[in-house]
Amino acid sequence: MIQPQTHLNVADNSGARELMCIRIIGASNRRYARIGDVIVAVIKDAVPNMPLQRSEVVRAVIVRTCKELKRDNGMIIRYDDNAAVVIDQEGNPKGTRVFGAIARELRQFNFTKIVSLAPEVL
Amino acid sequence: MATSVATSFHIRFSACNLISPDLCHLNPNTNAWKSSQSAEGYKLGRSLKRSLRGSSVVTPMALAADMSQDTDDMYDDLFKKYGKVVYRSKDQKPPTADVDDDAECLAFAVAMAKIASDVKAAEIKLLFVKPLVYWTKFFLITTAYSRPQIDAIRTRISDLAEKQYGKFSTGDTKANSWTLLDFGDIVVHIFLPEQRELYNLEEFYANATPIELPFDNQQSFGR
Repeated sequence: MIQPQTHLNVADNSGARELMCIRIIGASNRRYARIGDVIVAVIKDAVPNMPLQRSEVVRAVIVRTCKELKRDNGMIIRYDDNAAVVIDQEGNPKGTRVFGAIARELRQFNFTKIVSLAPEVL
Repeated sequence: MATSVATSFHIRFSACNLISPDLCHLNPNTNAWKSSQSAEGYKLGRSLKRSLRGSSVVTPMALAADMSQDTDDMYDDLFKKYGKVVYRSKDQKPPTADVDDDAECLAFAVAMAKIASDVKAAEIKLLFVKPLVYWTKFFLITTAYSRPQIDAIRTRISDLAEKQYGKFSTGDTKANSWTLLDFGDIVVHIFLPEQRELYNLEEFYANATPIELPFDNQQSFGR
């Protein structure tokens, strides 16, 4: 349940540390974003001396949410944090490695690049 | 109620089968089960439901009473009445099926690598990543030097997959600096040289088994 003003952790090595959602992409008036949705976010905190700076506006894919993700087989996945991976306009991740476990649903949403950079896929 | 009992009964039988696979050779001693002996789980559940409905020993009302207290006794009664029914799941694959599947994917991957080589893609690497990740079997990583070349590789590979193997890819639909084609068991990555060095997928999947390709692999000009 990510909505504008939600703060998210960054699950890659792009240089951003914390994002704040400012818009959900893909629907004109949707309230919440879930795993696999693309959001527009502003960087609230960044690692020094990296290409991404604080207060920059970027696109990101949500990869983990505290709100549980339900599968058809009854499995429920719930993470401890809200996290996103920064992507560019073409959909390529800006970082080169993804941290932490991510859900396999990202592959169905055509984010196989993020899945192939992740160390663990649930 | 009868449905839920039938389902749990089916699960119990499946578990029984798991514990002692040699029991599969035993035939049930009542003829009521002969028709469903080789049927799938669905059929078993339905026939069980049917026979439960008609049985005088366990009526649905009695089930409701017994369910909370002593379901084990009820199962024992059913066992006494119908004997041992052993069910083997139909979706169990023989051990060779897995190997055959891998071989088929490998042939497809090598054919795609050959196509990429024909379009002068460089540094073609085929990695067997099945032991490392569960979601795919092979990675085909190549370098192309321009976006039109990426497009050429992408369309040729897609054509081959569609015409000869009947597979369709998801992933990028136009040339990208990192173009990815996802065929399910095989994932094709086409990089521009810069992106290949940046993302360095070979290093990330360094533990994967590289597979020798049966043709001359064009090396990068610069290296």
